[in-house]
Amino acid sequence: MMLSQFPLLVFNGLAWAMAVFLVASGLTLVFGILHILNFSHGGVFMIAAYVALAVQGYAGPSFSLGAFAAALAAATASGAIIGVFVERFVFRRLTGVPEAYSLIATYALLLICQGVVKLIWGVDFKGAPPPDVLVGALVVAGNFLPAYSVALIAAGIGMFVALEVLIYRTRFGDRLRAVAIDPWMSGLIGVNVGAVFAATVVAGFALAGLAGGLLVANQSLSPELGSAFIIQAFGAIIVGGMGNIRGTFLACMLLGLINAFGIVLIPDLPGILFYVALAAVILIRPQGLLGARS
Amino acid sequence: MTLRPRPFDYGSTVLVGIAFIAFATAPIWAAGGAFFLMGILAIQIAFAVSFNMIFGLAGLVSFGHAAYFAVGAYASAALLRDVPQAPFLVSILAAGAAAGAVGAIVGLIALRRASGIYFAILTLALGELIHVVIAKTTYLGREDGFTGIPRPVIDFFVFKLDTSNPTTLYLVTLAVVIALIAGMGFVWYGPLGRTMAAVRQDADRAAFLGVDVGRLHLFGYVLATAAAGLAGGLYAPWAQLITPEIARWTYSAIPILFCLLGGAASFWGPVLGGVVFVGLEHATRTMIGLSELIVGAILLAIVLGAPGGLTAALTQLEATIVARMKNKTAAGKPMRPNP
Repeated sequence: MMLSQFPLLVFNGLAWAMAVFLVASGLTLVFGILHILNFSHGGVFMIAAYVALAVQGYAGPSFSLGAFAAALAAATASGAIIGVFVERFVFRRLTGVPEAYSLIATYALLLICQGVVKLIWGVDFKGAPPPDVLVGALVVAGNFLPAYSVALIAAGIGMFVALEVLIYRTRFGDRLRAVAIDPWMSGLIGVNVGAVFAATVVAGFALAGLAGGLLVANQSLSPELGSAFIIQAFGAIIVGGMGNIRGTFLACMLLGLINAFGIVLIPDLPGILFYVALAAVILIRPQGLLGARS
Repeated sequence: MTLRPRPFDYGSTVLVGIAFIAFATAPIWAAGGAFFLMGILAIQIAFAVSFNMIFGLAGLVSFGHAAYFAVGAYASAALLRDVPQAPFLVSILAAGAAAGAVGAIVGLIALRRASGIYFAILTLALGELIHVVIAKTTYLGREDGFTGIPRPVIDFFVFKLDTSNPTTLYLVTLAVVIALIAGMGFVWYGPLGRTMAAVRQDADRAAFLGVDVGRLHLFGYVLATAAAGLAGGLYAPWAQLITPEIARWTYSAIPILFCLLGGAASFWGPVLGGVVFVGLEHATRTMIGLSELIVGAILLAIVLGAPGGLTAALTQLEATIVARMKNKTAAGKPMRPNP
């Protein structure tokens, strides 16, 4: 491996890491409080990506930042709306159900999302360019960095900071953490536990929608998209320590760098180091990098 | 509390009997695609029963179970194609042995540290690892799949079976599937299965009574993975083309769906679940998108409304009927629920 590749590898690793973090952030939020590993997160991510694509489609093949913002808003809203229904009709009934069963219930939701996408948008691959200001590349120290990837990294960091403030610096965040630790006790001291649960689920799904809107230009859209990112996101939240947003952020960067270097070091088996690292962390630190030992 | 004999599961037994007759007579009534599907279904049912040996009995979700199915399929495919002097049944048994060996390694690692959701994700990760290795190995055909798997002549010394005849291969496959399910049934209803069920209900108490929980889980896991490998070994000659897709976690969902639909607590759950699920899928196959929608909705309805699956619903129905009949003969009129 040449040393000159190093900065570009780090950049690619970060771009991958932030794409996964955007998907994993909402997942972490829901897991931290409901202890449900939500397969349907990937499905909502996918539906939101299609919604964003449809909104951008009105603006034509080359669209402005304004159209991109409108697409993002539509994607986030679609995620939140699905979240309201899923919370009301599914998640609320999953309290007290064994982990394996709630995992399977969300898998069923993922299947439903795939069916909806196939019914509405068909099975063909679709693609979209980034908004016109993000087309092209920045030249930094002789390396060509795609502007869209730079924007994604910024979005990922922005998302992390926003969640960090929300969870650790606001009244809502205090209640959220209290309910995550002990819902029964939180209820006794006057926290509306049901409302916190509901708000968290809706926020988690809205984040899935936002991630879908942001990542439209990152990949081709097909009904398989829902299951594409979800494994990486699951890996990241487990490595980070279940439900811990800081740990998830750290894990995304770690796994992103490992993945980027793995592609160069073992080009015959792309992606294999991700699974090796995931298995290694579960074995050495089952509670995750920043998770508390239960 | 008095000891009563376990209630005999009439409904499930009758339905499994009907399913058996349908499978056994498939060469007569099914042709073309439907006949091929019956063979696949028989193999997938064996695969699902193997999954339930660890899920239903031990309560562990092996979310990478498809990897063992794939290891078995690729092992038997390689032997059938490139070692033609190896007898057919040896190739199938080698498939089980290969998968069991991989399962032993994974089990030694995974069962030691992980439980619950961690076990599910860890087995998923290790399964995806096997998927990547298969999809990138040139000898195994990479992403394009392993092709040219022959259907050999089986020499029983006294007589020969030429499996290039689809009906012969189907009947051989069905016979092995039934033997495999019968073997697993002996474990399920035998002392080992009872002990595993006891551990699932209360691991601490079982350990206190002298059960080596770790060793029991490892043994059960190796057994379940070897059985999955055997099912995979049957899949290779029947499908004749195998792709890395059978190692992916999305394929691992098949046994999970069968078990939940049929009821994981019952040995016959995955058998009935498989028949109903594939029947539904086959009926909705031309409606693109709608089939996922229907399958997903049914699965969700079962998890939320009837977590015991079909077998539990049947048992409950039987109990209601029996209670009604008893009540009618005793009092001469239907029982009224107490207010």
